Amino acid sequence: MSDNLPASLPGQSDRVVQVDKLSKKYGDNVAVNDISFNLTKGEVFAFLGPNGAGKTTTVEILECLRNPTGGRARVLGYDVSKRSDQAQIRKRIGVLPQDFNAIDRLTVRENINYFGAMFKHQLDADKLIELVDLKDKRDEQFKKLSGGLKQRVGLAVSLVNDPDVVFLDEPTTGLDPRARRDVWGVIERLKSQGKTVFLTTHYMDEAEYLADIVSIIDHGQIIASGTPDQLIDTHGGKKTLIIRDAGEEGLKQLPQGLPKAELRNAGDIAIPLHNGELTNILMSLAQTPLHDKEIEVRRPTLDDVFLNLTGRRVSEEGN
Amino acid sequence: MRSRIYTIISGHFKSWYRSKSSIFWTIAFPLLLIVLFGAIFGSGSTKFDLYLQNQDLSANTPTYFSQGYITVLNNTGAFNLHVVPAEQPDPLTYVKNDAQLHNRGQRLLVIPLGFNATVMSGKNATIQLYMDQSDQASASLAGIVHSVTVSYAAAIAKAPNHLILQQVGIVTKNIRYIDFFIPGVIGMTLLTTGVFGAVNTNGSYRELKIIKKLATTPLSKIEWILGMVGYQMILATISLVVILFFGYAIFGVTATIDIYTVGLVVAASLLFPGIGMVLANFVKEAESADAAANAITFPMMFLGGTFWPRETLPDIMKIIANFMPLTYVNDGLRYALIYAEPAQALTNTLIALGLASFFIVLGSVLMNWKEE
Ligand SMILES: Nc1ncnc2c1ncn2[C@@H]1O[C@H](COP(=O)(O)OP(=O)(O)OP(=O)(O)O)[C@@H](O)[C@H]1O
Ligand SMILES: [Mg+2]
Repeated sequence: MSDNLPASLPGQSDRVVQVDKLSKKYGDNVAVNDISFNLTKGEVFAFLGPNGAGKTTTVEILECLRNPTGGRARVLGYDVSKRSDQAQIRKRIGVLPQDFNAIDRLTVRENINYFGAMFKHQLDADKLIELVDLKDKRDEQFKKLSGGLKQRVGLAVSLVNDPDVVFLDEPTTGLDPRARRDVWGVIERLKSQGKTVFLTTHYMDEAEYLADIVSIIDHGQIIASGTPDQLIDTHGGKKTLIIRDAGEEGLKQLPQGLPKAELRNAGDIAIPLHNGELTNILMSLAQTPLHDKEIEVRRPTLDDVFLNLTGRRVSEEGN
Repeated sequence: MRSRIYTIISGHFKSWYRSKSSIFWTIAFPLLLIVLFGAIFGSGSTKFDLYLQNQDLSANTPTYFSQGYITVLNNTGAFNLHVVPAEQPDPLTYVKNDAQLHNRGQRLLVIPLGFNATVMSGKNATIQLYMDQSDQASASLAGIVHSVTVSYAAAIAKAPNHLILQQVGIVTKNIRYIDFFIPGVIGMTLLTTGVFGAVNTNGSYRELKIIKKLATTPLSKIEWILGMVGYQMILATISLVVILFFGYAIFGVTATIDIYTVGLVVAASLLFPGIGMVLANFVKEAESADAAANAITFPMMFLGGTFWPRETLPDIMKIIANFMPLTYVNDGLRYALIYAEPAQALTNTLIALGLASFFIVLGSVLMNWKEE
């Protein structure tokens, strides 16, 4: 997976992030184990993995917060391990750390200007406030905001220097579904502006929805990479026909000769679909009492990809 | 581009004045202490303190007429007489030190050697009263001593002019408890705002990932620390001004602000946050860091001469107090603000500045800016 392209001139590269055989050990614990990937300009890249997989460790190496113990990484063409390069990287990246909170007693606007002042040039605070949809809250103190709004302030803060690449470490963890959608909306807007985004998440649907490229990381190793479609095609398994709420009863009512069905989620029947079988199955179902049930065809998701690759599912909490 | 350090200072400052509890601890609490302690210790007895040295001894006992004079003086009930031993060669210095220690007025009455003999011989005998004309009690006190002297002379020799009360002006600073306490409260406030400010801000900013975020920007650790120190200086100046103004308005405490005061404020704004940063480095968890800050500040407050003079401490405690940085800030502030003794103020200021450089450098070196 590693391609050994020569490093292009610092700052000029389309390869915004280049990671080559990167490792990080904490004592005996190998948090990141020999990973390689690239991130191209304008791409939304999702680093997908459960808790403790090594996402934050990797991101923070790229942000020059931690030193790798092996391998190399370049950001915008600059070497993250070189002190003189680090100064260049810091000027041009945007960072939203995991679990970030802005300063409690400063307002939304003051917070944006506070972090903006750390850079030579900062974007207009009001424009950023508009981008993250916080116009009515801009003079509200940070501590008075709800979790979702706080996270949007974090997003605005991470963009304040008009960065060439934005690192968002689990930007929606702990948010309710509505607030997550709002954050997604902001990230989509970034994408449409052509920003390069490095996103970590343990939410499969988030990666699938937002990312151009997904790398799945588990126990410090990248176990699969590609576009969501590629991953699903390669590792997702078959489409499934779902008959809702049919229960044990329904299982007995199934016609003969179908692929092996199983019961899921308290009463849904799932039948794996092979190519071209759908019409036949539906026609045979029409003869049974099950034709009254709600029937849908489900495409495999990244959940299935992860399950097939690791034999585990990732819970809502990321474990 | 606004300067990064300025931004950090103003961020801290806004957070400070928008928090009621911060305002309470840095402003209201010290004022409350002043009123409380001022009320408890401020109003001493209504009698005048008067030091008395009777040099006219014969075989270690006071001579007849000198003893008679003292008895009459005592019987007026107007004085708290404090005896200065006759062998004390420099009674004035003795009085000065002892009066400061016990927060008494500095007034001294000296009955000279040969007083008894002079009275017996029928010549005019002289008694000296050392007193500061600016001492508020001087007029009434001198009046009472004078009339005692005249009536005693009349009684023993039927000649009122036989005894002469010679008044000698001295310059004293009449140190009351409240004069002593005000610089102590300032020192205490600088101590607590500095130590707790550093421990709490660094702790909570770390927990909230604000420090992590800042470390990904061009901001450097040194700029961050300078910002914090700058903020502490502003806070220290505000505390100083508010407390001094309050002390003047309520208790008439007059203070001189000089170069040493400025030096001490600078020293304190480096020293105490420096100590806080060292602490925060050893105790990572926010709650235990707070406990550690308490464990450090309380003994310093009590032994460092905030509430009572260190001279009153047991010997072992006096030694411990010498190792407490607050001691030098407190002493320096007293010498600079109240006692107007530049030499002493300078010594303490220099020690405080030395300690300040040590702790701020140590704290800065120990602080992790990047990796946790
Ligand atoms: N500073 C550190 N010292 C020692 N071990 C660490 C440190 N930081 C992380 N680790 C370990 O490295 C591994 C990877 O942690 P990391 O935080 O990178 O995972 P993550 O994918 O970001 O997880 P999460 O979803 O919980 O944020 C974990 O086993 C973690 O315990
Ligand atoms: Mg993480």
